Amino acid sequence: MFLQAFFVAVFGLAAIGFGVAVFRTASMVRSALALLFSQAAIGCMFLAMQSEFLGVLQIMMMATEMSIMAIFMVMFMMDPGGLGGMDMSHQKRFSIGAGVIAAGAAFAVALVSDWGPVTAAAPDAAMQTRELGIEMLGRSMLIFETAAVTILTAMIAATAVAIPVREPACNDDKDKNDKDREASR
Amino acid sequence: MTIAVVLLALLVCAWLLAVIEAWLTTGRLRPAAPLLAGLSHLGRESLLPRKPDRLFFETAPVLLLVVAVLGAAVLPLAPGLVIADLATGALFVNAALAYVLVALIMAGWGPNGAYAMVGGWRFLGQLIAYAMLVVMPITAVAMRAESLLTSTIVTSQAGLWNIVYQPLGFVLFFIAAMALAFRAPFDLPTAPGELAGGVDAEYTGVRLAVLRLARLLLVITLAAATTVFYLGGWHGPLLPPWAWSLIKTLAVAVSMLLAGHYLPRIREADLLGWCWKLGIPLALLNILIVGLMILVVP
Amino acid sequence: MTPVLIVALLTGAILFGIGLYGALSQTNLVMIMMGVELILAGALVNLVAFWRFLHPENYAGQMFVLVVMTVMAVEMAVGFGIAIARFRAKGSVEMEEAGDLKG
Repeated sequence: MFLQAFFVAVFGLAAIGFGVAVFRTASMVRSALALLFSQAAIGCMFLAMQSEFLGVLQIMMMATEMSIMAIFMVMFMMDPGGLGGMDMSHQKRFSIGAGVIAAGAAFAVALVSDWGPVTAAAPDAAMQTRELGIEMLGRSMLIFETAAVTILTAMIAATAVAIPVREPACNDDKDKNDKDREASR
Repeated sequence: MTIAVVLLALLVCAWLLAVIEAWLTTGRLRPAAPLLAGLSHLGRESLLPRKPDRLFFETAPVLLLVVAVLGAAVLPLAPGLVIADLATGALFVNAALAYVLVALIMAGWGPNGAYAMVGGWRFLGQLIAYAMLVVMPITAVAMRAESLLTSTIVTSQAGLWNIVYQPLGFVLFFIAAMALAFRAPFDLPTAPGELAGGVDAEYTGVRLAVLRLARLLLVITLAAATTVFYLGGWHGPLLPPWAWSLIKTLAVAVSMLLAGHYLPRIREADLLGWCWKLGIPLALLNILIVGLMILVVP
Repeated sequence: MTPVLIVALLTGAILFGIGLYGALSQTNLVMIMMGVELILAGALVNLVAFWRFLHPENYAGQMFVLVVMTVMAVEMAVGFGIAIARFRAKGSVEMEEAGDLKG
C-alpha cells in the first residue's frame, strides 16, 4: 500500500509538473509535448493504481492525440517557435484565482468526504480486461455504441466544417459571393 | 537474466540485419562492417546545429531506442523467455510503438532545420495512414487467442499459424509495420533524395549512431511482433524454440528490406488514400471473417 | 483517512486547477483546448482512483473512463475542425480577435 502511494505520488507530481510546463513555455511544440508527457504520466498513474488496460490505453491514445495537437499549434499560433517571447494570455489574475479556487474546492471536498473503507486488493490484470470486455458488450453496450456513433458523427462533422468552401460554379454567383465577402469585412 | 538474454538477442538480430542489408546493397559479405561503422561514428565529432531545441534534439534518438526495446519487452522469444508477459501485451506493443511518432517529431523539430522538420511532420501524416492498420489486425489476432497476452497468442497458433488463418490481416499488418518502421517504400520522413535525409539529416557522430541502432532495433521489434502475431512465434519442428523465433524474425525483417529494395517510394497522399479507402475496409472485413470463423469452426 | 486515495484525488484536483487556469487565460483556441484536455485528465485520474479504491468489483467505473477518453477525442476533432474553418475565414484563431462571435 505504501509503495503504491509512493508511485502514485511520483507519477502525479510528474503529471502536474508537465501540466504546469504546458502554459509556461513559449515554444508551442514543447507545450504540446509537455501535455503529452503529462498525459503519459497520468497513464503511468493508472498503471500504479493497477488498472493496466486503462493505463496502457491512455498512454497509447495520448501519444497520437497530443502529437496532432502539436502540428495544429504550429499551424495556428503566431509564434510557434517561441523565439519572439510573445505573451499569449489574458485575464491572468482572474484565471489564476479561478484555478486555485477550483482545485482547492475539489481537494477540500476530497478531504471532507467520508470515503469509507478502501479496498486493498484489485482484481488481477487479465481478469480486469476480461470483465471490462464483458461489461462493454453486456450491460454498457448501449453506452459503448453511443460513444462509437458520437465519434463517427464528430469525424464527419469536423471534416465537413474543415473542408474549404467550394468555388461557385458560375460567374454571377462568384460576383455575389465576393460582394458578400466584402460586406462582411 | 531474461532481460540480458533478450537484449543480447535483439542486438545480435540488429547486427545480422545490418550485415544482410549491406550484403544486399553492395553484394559483399562483411560481418565486421556494422561494428566498425558504429565505432567510427563514436569517434566522430557530434555537431550541434545552430539554435537547436537542445532538449528535443538530445532526447529523440534515445527515446526511439527506448521505445523499440520496450516494444520488444512484451514479445516472447521462447516459452518463458519474455521480459514482461503483460495481461495487455498486444496493446502494449502499440502503446510503445506510438512513441516512435513522438521521437520523430522531436527529431524533426529539435535541430531547427527545414528538411528535418518536414520529415518529422510527414511522419505524423504517415501515422494517420498506418495507425488503424496496426491496431485492427491485432484485434483479429486477439479475437482468435481470446487474450491479449502475447504468450497465449503464440500458443493459440500451435495448430494453425495465423498467417494461414487470417492471411488478409497478415498482409495489412506487414504493410503497416513497414510504414511504422519507416523503411522504404514508406521512408517518407527520411526520404534520401528528396529530403536529404529528413530527420536523420542534422544528426552526426554519437547521436547518429544511436539513431541508426534505434532504427535497426525498431525493424527487429516489428519483425518479432509479426512473428508472434502471425507466424506462430516459437513453434516449429526439430529446432529449439528460440532458434525458430530468431529465424522467423530475421526472415520477416529481410523480407521487409527486400520489399523496400524493389518498390518505389510512395507519395504521402497516395498512402493516406489507399490506407483509408482500401486498407481499413479490408481490416474490418478481416475482423468480420475471423469472427465468423470463430463462431462456425469450434 | 486513506492516503493513496487522497494522493490521487489531490493530483486530480491540481490538474483540474491547472487546466482551468489554461482554459481561461490563454488567447489561442488551440491552447484553450489544451486546458480542456488537462481538465478532463484530472477527471480521469479521479475516476480511476474511485474505481480502484472504492468499487473495484464494478466495471461500469472503467467503462466511464473509456467514455471520457472518447469525449477527449471528440473534443479534439470538433475543436480542430472549428479552428480550421475559423482560420480560413478570418486568418487567426485568437480569442481577442473573435469579438464578432458575441451576440
